[in-house]
Amino acid sequence: MVAYPATYPVVTVNAWLSTGLAKGAMLELDDVGFRYAKGQDILHGVSFRLQRGAFSFLTGPSGAGKTTLLRLLFLALRPSHGRIRLFGEDVTRLPRSALPPVRRRVGVVFQEFRLLDHLSTFDNVALPLRVSGQAPSSYSRDVMDLLDWVGLKKQAHAFPAVLSGGEKQRAAIARAVIAKPELLLADEPTGNVDPVLARRLIHLFAELNRLGTTVLLATHDQGLFKQVRAPVLHLQDGTLRML
Amino acid sequence: MAERRPGAVIPKEAASLRTLTATMTVMCYLACLAIGALVLIDRAVDNWSRGLSREVTVQVREVEARDIDADVAAVLQVLQDTPGVTAADDIGRKAAEALLEPWLGSEGLDALPVPRIVRVAVNPEQPPEFPALAQRLTAATPGASLDTHRRWEDELKRMAGTLTVLASLILLLIGGSAVAMVIFATRAVLEANRQTVDVLHLVGAEDGYIARAINRRFLATGLWAGGLGVLLALLTFFVLGHAGLPQADGLAAASRSLFYVPDSQWWAVPAALVAVPFAATLLALVTSRITLLRMLRLLS
Repeated sequence: MVAYPATYPVVTVNAWLSTGLAKGAMLELDDVGFRYAKGQDILHGVSFRLQRGAFSFLTGPSGAGKTTLLRLLFLALRPSHGRIRLFGEDVTRLPRSALPPVRRRVGVVFQEFRLLDHLSTFDNVALPLRVSGQAPSSYSRDVMDLLDWVGLKKQAHAFPAVLSGGEKQRAAIARAVIAKPELLLADEPTGNVDPVLARRLIHLFAELNRLGTTVLLATHDQGLFKQVRAPVLHLQDGTLRML
Repeated sequence: MAERRPGAVIPKEAASLRTLTATMTVMCYLACLAIGALVLIDRAVDNWSRGLSREVTVQVREVEARDIDADVAAVLQVLQDTPGVTAADDIGRKAAEALLEPWLGSEGLDALPVPRIVRVAVNPEQPPEFPALAQRLTAATPGASLDTHRRWEDELKRMAGTLTVLASLILLLIGGSAVAMVIFATRAVLEANRQTVDVLHLVGAEDGYIARAINRRFLATGLWAGGLGVLLALLTFFVLGHAGLPQADGLAAASRSLFYVPDSQWWAVPAALVAVPFAATLLALVTSRITLLRMLRLLS
């Protein structure tokens, strides 16, 4: 069991509307719904708030809308209705040109890794720094240190095709955290790894959280809840409730 | 640790631009031929105009009850007294008949009242007053008429103008086709790299960053296509000029003339060599960038 601080920041669900916008909130959703064009509602009436420095799980059965909710949070989708505030700013209808600076403050671990096959592990991990205009000389050391931390130093110049599932997962996590994001969103980050590695990865997220990153981790692996004592948001049939 | 050069964020392998480079090369080659044709038309019109403005002719027709030889002599006298006329000579009856032979044949020309032709050289800088000269000639002999070739010169200029417009239209069509090809190629590159572009967007890349990464490949395409197109065109003009094709003497001479420029225009050939690759590269870069930015706006 990961030793977690007793003063762990709390996630409030469906309660903040009555109390107004809280100061220090990292993420706030107000009655958010989403549907694809002419389709059924994927999400409806989703409201919750994540405080800065929080660690929360997002769970629910397959197809419940976890990935869609995460895609809304890293601004890959826009809600059909409702409002999303990120870092204290309303991002619901943010113009395209304003998206990149916000996205750079959010680290995302995709369920299917989404590493770029034509880039080495090093280059994949360095990508967020590179697109923000940093020179390789300024980030090389940080990237190598992080690769060392996630146990991929020897695979720094290997390409994703030769990495195992667990190595790809760790590379994807390293890419998500290299730019020291304020918010880390992870979609089934332990879905493709064995229990031992899953435990190591959860320790990694807990360590990042300890360093100040707000973490929202989507999973349907109930075993993880026993390792980290953290609030669990449950999503079912497009509706969110707290367990 | 030795620093490695980062890999290209957009892989070259995903959508090759070789087909675009090949078709752009053909476009640049055709553009060079069209430009060569424009230069030749310009020079030819200039030469023809200069030749025509240096010479006029006086036609002396037989008039009943008049001696045509005396009329020719009177015309020559008027011409000698005219400022701006540098030389005048009667080409003679035989030469005049020879001019008609291609149309009338040689038989029976003796019996025809063939007009006499007086060739007149004029100073192109200070030509005579042609209307006044025409009046004096008619006064001297009623059968005389002055031909300043103005009508031919106007016809030539009109024809040259038409050819110039046609060549310019061809250049425009080539440019338009090249733009269309670059747009298609850009869409293909973006479609082939859709996954990569999505990831780049999600890690915070701006459209301009992605467009620049893809744009670099079009820079190489423009330079290669432009350079190869110019080389192929030069080779074509050289071969045409030196192949010695008997049925294409005029074309050979014209092609050769493209390589000879006056000393005062020494820059013309290097400028042409640079202009086409430069224009091709600019067209490829600007078109692909505009297309990329418009398409990226439609993505997430």
